[in-house]
Amino acid sequence: MSQGIGAYLIRRTFSAVIVLFAISILVFLILRLTPTDPVEVLLGQKYDAATASVLREKYGYDESLPIQYVTYIRNLVQGDFGISTRRLDFTANEIVIPRLWVSARLGFFALVIAFGLGIPFGIYTALNRGKNRDPALIGGWLAVDAVPVFVSAPIVQWIFALQLGWVDLSFEGVFHKNIILPVLLIALPGVAGVARFMRAAIIQVMSEDYVRTARAKGLRNQTIVLQHITRNALLPVLTVIGLSLPGIFAGSLFVELFWGIPGIARESLDAILANDYDIILGLVLFGSFLFVMVNIFIDVAYGFIDPRVRIGASRSAV
Amino acid sequence: MINSTFSEDLNLRKSQETVLKAATGNFFWYPEFIMKVLKQSFLIIVAVFFSCAVLFSACGGESGGSKIEPTETQRATEGKGDLRGSSSSSAICKENRLLTYGGEPATVLDPILVSDIGTAEYIIEIFGGLVTLGLDLQIESDLAESWKMSADGLTYTFKLRKNVVFHNGRRVTAEDFKYSIERAADPLNASPTALLYLSEIVGVKDKFDGLTDTVRGVVVIDESTIQISLTEPITHFLQVLTYPVSFVVDKEQIMRDPTNWTRNPNGTGPFRLQTFNPLKEIVLARNERYHLGPPNLEAVVFNLSGGSLSTRYENDEIHIALVPTLELDSYRAGKSRYASEYRVAKEMSLSYIAFNVNKPPFDDPLVRQALALAVDRNAINEVLYYNRFRVADGILPPEMPGYSEDVSSYPYDPERAAELIANSKYFDNMPRITLNFPGSVASGGGFLEVFQQQWSDNLGLDIELEAVEWSTFLRELRRKTFQVASLGWIADYPDPENFLHKLFSSGSTQNKLGYANVNVDELLKKARVEQDMIRRNKLYWEAEQIILDDAAIIPIFWSVQHLLVKPCVQNWPDLSIGVPKYRYITIASQ
Repeated sequence: MSQGIGAYLIRRTFSAVIVLFAISILVFLILRLTPTDPVEVLLGQKYDAATASVLREKYGYDESLPIQYVTYIRNLVQGDFGISTRRLDFTANEIVIPRLWVSARLGFFALVIAFGLGIPFGIYTALNRGKNRDPALIGGWLAVDAVPVFVSAPIVQWIFALQLGWVDLSFEGVFHKNIILPVLLIALPGVAGVARFMRAAIIQVMSEDYVRTARAKGLRNQTIVLQHITRNALLPVLTVIGLSLPGIFAGSLFVELFWGIPGIARESLDAILANDYDIILGLVLFGSFLFVMVNIFIDVAYGFIDPRVRIGASRSAV
Repeated sequence: MINSTFSEDLNLRKSQETVLKAATGNFFWYPEFIMKVLKQSFLIIVAVFFSCAVLFSACGGESGGSKIEPTETQRATEGKGDLRGSSSSSAICKENRLLTYGGEPATVLDPILVSDIGTAEYIIEIFGGLVTLGLDLQIESDLAESWKMSADGLTYTFKLRKNVVFHNGRRVTAEDFKYSIERAADPLNASPTALLYLSEIVGVKDKFDGLTDTVRGVVVIDESTIQISLTEPITHFLQVLTYPVSFVVDKEQIMRDPTNWTRNPNGTGPFRLQTFNPLKEIVLARNERYHLGPPNLEAVVFNLSGGSLSTRYENDEIHIALVPTLELDSYRAGKSRYASEYRVAKEMSLSYIAFNVNKPPFDDPLVRQALALAVDRNAINEVLYYNRFRVADGILPPEMPGYSEDVSSYPYDPERAAELIANSKYFDNMPRITLNFPGSVASGGGFLEVFQQQWSDNLGLDIELEAVEWSTFLRELRRKTFQVASLGWIADYPDPENFLHKLFSSGSTQNKLGYANVNVDELLKKARVEQDMIRRNKLYWEAEQIILDDAAIIPIFWSVQHLLVKPCVQNWPDLSIGVPKYRYITIASQ
């Protein structure tokens, strides 16, 4: 089996690299061929031809496209993501990486909370399906999801910061109590989705044969629930978690704006509006890289968790 | 066998039933439902609360100064008014540190790279030049103790102070100034602002174009004397020198560390950079050896993250905040608890509608004038913007030295407008008109739609509004493909030349309208080199009035910043452009 996994990994990594190359070429071309122009944005209304040509030379925009691309890739593999034109002369690395890190950690906390609440609620409502608390709870979480964050943010700020004074509204670092509110505002809207998904998975599993077998064997309900039902229901949830992971790097725009969190969502927006090529390309490639890696990881993980799935096994295996 | 099949069927049906119940919810099982509702009514209350919250809460509004460049997305969003805290005895007033908000620097802290107001705010505190601006926008001496101008106005000789040092203690000499200007003109440094502001210095353009190696016009006479020669005897040269691009930088530091010196720059300003945490804050600490006297404040902390400024102000986290537009009325009427802390800061900027005078129908001045007469700017300001702005009755804003109240723009006169249109040569065959505006986040604004409506109501014209992506907008503007566009301009230095010559002189690269009036050109050319201030101002007023009468543009608003300033903050100036103001401010602790 390990032979199978090794070959599988190699194949997947190889195709991942091809995918990333294709994405890089595609986004590169989109940025360069559309009428965007970071030098225009940089100079704004004070554009003059001589200054513009000097700037274009500095950033290499006067070279032909293939040369620009090769230069970019060559720098990329050395870890240099380029220079920002919007934030003149800050390197893309120093702009993007700290902000990605902030958004990622906040997103990760939010993910933990969303799943930490969603999974138990999903199990509970699944086991109590048909009773009123089932739709009431799901409905309650959906109500939380339905309130747009730019409505709930000022309310929440008013209640907890101004009235109760429990937290302040400045960003003091990722492990400071001030991030409780923004993280909750990212996490709580997601609970509904997780709970419903988990609920459906549990219901699905509950009708499986082995559950009936377990009940027939006379196992205690708790054992059945924990060992058999939940573990099996977690498999599709694992996929969902995995696919949500790259999303935490996207940041949450409104939360970042309301709390002044220096995250990646704001930065992406600004970069796009200012046609900041290196930042945009760096973000897209990073996101794609993450997505691809996570997918590979999930597929491999399945092979270990679910004995029905054999990674790299030949088709004739029984 | 049959039995087990049957019981399997039963089970199957039962589980189907359960699934059905689960899928449709319990609402069909009525009496149970009522019971459960009563027992679990608290959940319903929660749901009701949220729906009420959705219905009755005001959305966060967008405020913050009218930004012309979309590179700034700092937004102040609205908090709820009237809450706890009179603030003068709060913790933030006990320390001698000013807590304010700032924009993320748009460039590294290098004076030759900075071109936006936000970053300039830091640069002018950390670095210094030959001259600076006082709070009254008059020229004051900075590193130059005195200066002489030659009779023909082409040569300036500056005598430097002897006691000026960089933040690290090294004395500043004329050699440092020469180096700084050479550096600004060096094409390898790709300064976006060098040509624009320094091209009147002999040799700058040649060096930038790669024709020479040095700037001939800057000569070191001795250790503390430097001489600068100009290509034409412009009379706003000293004003131009207050712009960062000519500020002095430390040659030794840059040689030692060319890539990273801006993280800890050695300047000559009233403050030095203490902390630069791009994710969080910039802290400027007092420069004890500042030659014009050290600042009162120990430090100024610029919080970079933005967020809900006015809410944080109410929460006593910061000293300065922006007032959200929707609350302007209550502040002005004195209704909010913080009304006494409301201050107005004027920005020397103008928003306007620009006509391309070479494109039909705007080649006919009657059409332009009609459009100018047909819009009610006062009403728009009052109703749409809660009187947030000042209606621009001219081009130069009132705080600009050289402003005249006598200069005036077309008032709102729809009848006269209709008359003019009727007399225009396009009256019977008006071409399609499209008004372009940059369609980015911080753009346009409701007033364009009101203009559209008023032009339709008063003149019967159907003008289309078209948003264009920012860099495309800039490019098409340069190529003069638009018929009419919505624009803005912020003053770079306090001199009428910056508005009038740069935007309306036919030879200027910033003249995006194709406007070319022989009289105006004549007046601007004369004013530019006129040494008598009174005559000079008169020439500019004349030019301004002609431009307005020609309706080359419709001036709309002069911008204003609405601020909240904690009472313990003293000497806060009422202007917000390009003046190093933090050294005057004190915090009166209780």
